[in-house]
Amino acid sequence: MIPTNPLHSQRGASAVQVSLGMAVIAALFAFPQFVESPYVLHMMILFFLSTLMGQSWNIIGGYTGQYSVGHAAYFGTGAYSTMILLTTKEIAPWYGMWVGIAASVVLALIIGSICFRLRGPYFVLASIAVAEIVRGTALNLTDLTKGAEGILLTDMPAFKIGQTVITDFSSKVPYYYIALVLALMIIAVTWLVQNSKLGYYFQAIREDQDAAHSLGINLTFWKNSALVISAAFTSLAGSFYAIFVKFIDPSTVLPLDLSVQIVLISIIGGIGTIFGPVIGSLVLVPLSEALRSNAIAQGLINSGLVSEESGIGIFLKEHLAHAHVLIYGILVVVVILFMPDGVLGYFRKMTAKKKRGEA
Amino acid sequence: MTFSVLMQSIISGILVGGVYALIGIGLTIIFGVMRVINFAHGDIMMVGMYMTYFLFTLFGIDPFLSVLITMPLMFLFGALLQKVFINRILGTLPQNQILLTIGLGLIMSNTAMLAFTSDYKILTTSYSSSSFNIAGISISEPLLISFLITAAITVGLYWFLLKTDTGQAIRATAQDREAAQLMGINVKWMSILSFGIGSAMAGTAGALISPTYYIFPQVGSAFTLKAFVITVLGGMGSIVGATLGGIIIGLVESVAAVTISSDWKDVVVFSIFLLVLLVKPSGLMGKSRM
Repeated sequence: MIPTNPLHSQRGASAVQVSLGMAVIAALFAFPQFVESPYVLHMMILFFLSTLMGQSWNIIGGYTGQYSVGHAAYFGTGAYSTMILLTTKEIAPWYGMWVGIAASVVLALIIGSICFRLRGPYFVLASIAVAEIVRGTALNLTDLTKGAEGILLTDMPAFKIGQTVITDFSSKVPYYYIALVLALMIIAVTWLVQNSKLGYYFQAIREDQDAAHSLGINLTFWKNSALVISAAFTSLAGSFYAIFVKFIDPSTVLPLDLSVQIVLISIIGGIGTIFGPVIGSLVLVPLSEALRSNAIAQGLINSGLVSEESGIGIFLKEHLAHAHVLIYGILVVVVILFMPDGVLGYFRKMTAKKKRGEA
Repeated sequence: MTFSVLMQSIISGILVGGVYALIGIGLTIIFGVMRVINFAHGDIMMVGMYMTYFLFTLFGIDPFLSVLITMPLMFLFGALLQKVFINRILGTLPQNQILLTIGLGLIMSNTAMLAFTSDYKILTTSYSSSSFNIAGISISEPLLISFLITAAITVGLYWFLLKTDTGQAIRATAQDREAAQLMGINVKWMSILSFGIGSAMAGTAGALISPTYYIFPQVGSAFTLKAFVITVLGGMGSIVGATLGGIIIGLVESVAAVTISSDWKDVVVFSIFLLVLLVKPSGLMGKSRM
């Protein structure tokens, strides 16, 4: 079979692909046994978290074509629910996260019932407005959220799975496994969505709302379904972030910048594909971390390109770390102008061209 | 709360609203002509603010006088953005246009952060905090001057769009791009012109508020959001609407700050925005385009 569109050709998976996938998953589970560097584990956790966030957005943005630029609202709701319950009522995060999910689903249904009447740019603007209202509320309900001061987590209760009790949360390993499971879960959910009737409804809405409607697809219902799934997992990402970083405030878990970053993970990788957000995270996380940790500035100095004492060297060392978001900006401009199907789509097209050339 | 406090907040609301109107007009011209929502609008304004700041600190040029330099420079900056980036994505998916302008905005704000650090800069002039009293109501002098300049620029822009050939060509392009092209109007050139004008308006607004506002790299996003609220409220693409919308939002903010609390004013503004989107997405002046 010759796939007509290289982006949507992965309906089934071959035996080779399945065994390759299994091998990768096994390697990821074994990874902390061989690598002990907390920094590497930290990077891996950020990668899993980014995949979770990007993939969650992908369900509403990529598959259903509704570009929500307000996903920080769900992320923040998850983070705040978990954190408030944990710090004030000592409710463990693995129960608190369900409250976060429930709150996010309710929020998603409210937002959906308001915003899904609007289309295109108006929907984008409405989603931003709602997220800003949530942020403003979190900033001002100081009794509950401590406002701009933020919430700091000092105590972590013991985590029981069956007979094993985990009390040591100073190590990155438990977070590694939680994040890995979450990332695998969202990939599985996306795969299920893509290969079910649900996914066909979503994609029909993305391709042509009016045609889908005339075929009897209830637009509001299916758009809301997509948003609820997306919001629940974004909320989960927020809950995880809160207990992983142990500090949240409105400017880290609810800003517009976060909503934009969530969108860009999918856009850069390739929207509406299972591996798009994974590729996007693979590109973005190391680049942005390298800038943030000053590795790039240090690298330029070590390689002898820029002298450490020179004005440029000092300037780069001092300031480059603050501009790690710059990379998001440059990448998205490049991707939109030159690779509208994302990195994944670009390389698929390239290989398809090559194959055609050879044949 | 006394009557004079309310009056004062109404007056300062209208004065600030004038500058908001200028930001909104810039956004609405760009949307009207190209159907592109410019998410980098606030960041373009930020560039104007820094320009004014450095003209003042390095050359001692008064911020209100510097408008004469800022406006043409920002026009060129906008025209360049249009020529190099925006023109390539006209007619593609609206989502891609939004993402491209978001990306450009991120590049601008983060480059500003690299170049000038994220420190807050304050432009202090001899009249920054001076005000005068009329019937017991004090009126801020820089706000009044900026309002008057805004009014002059808005009138000038109206005249340009209504009376000159180029202005009419821009309006024709906004009404129907294809028909305008058939009539021999160079629509690509009109797009460059309107993005230039839109940026010049945003940059000028930045120059005008710099004596009364903090200058920092991330200042843009708050104003981008405000610009959306203003243009949607007035009706996307309507200049009269944007002027009205700017003044209304200025008023709402200022009155909400004294009657409710200044912490909640943004929430109030966005709630009104959402309400307008729901009840009348075409806005106050939605029908008449420009």
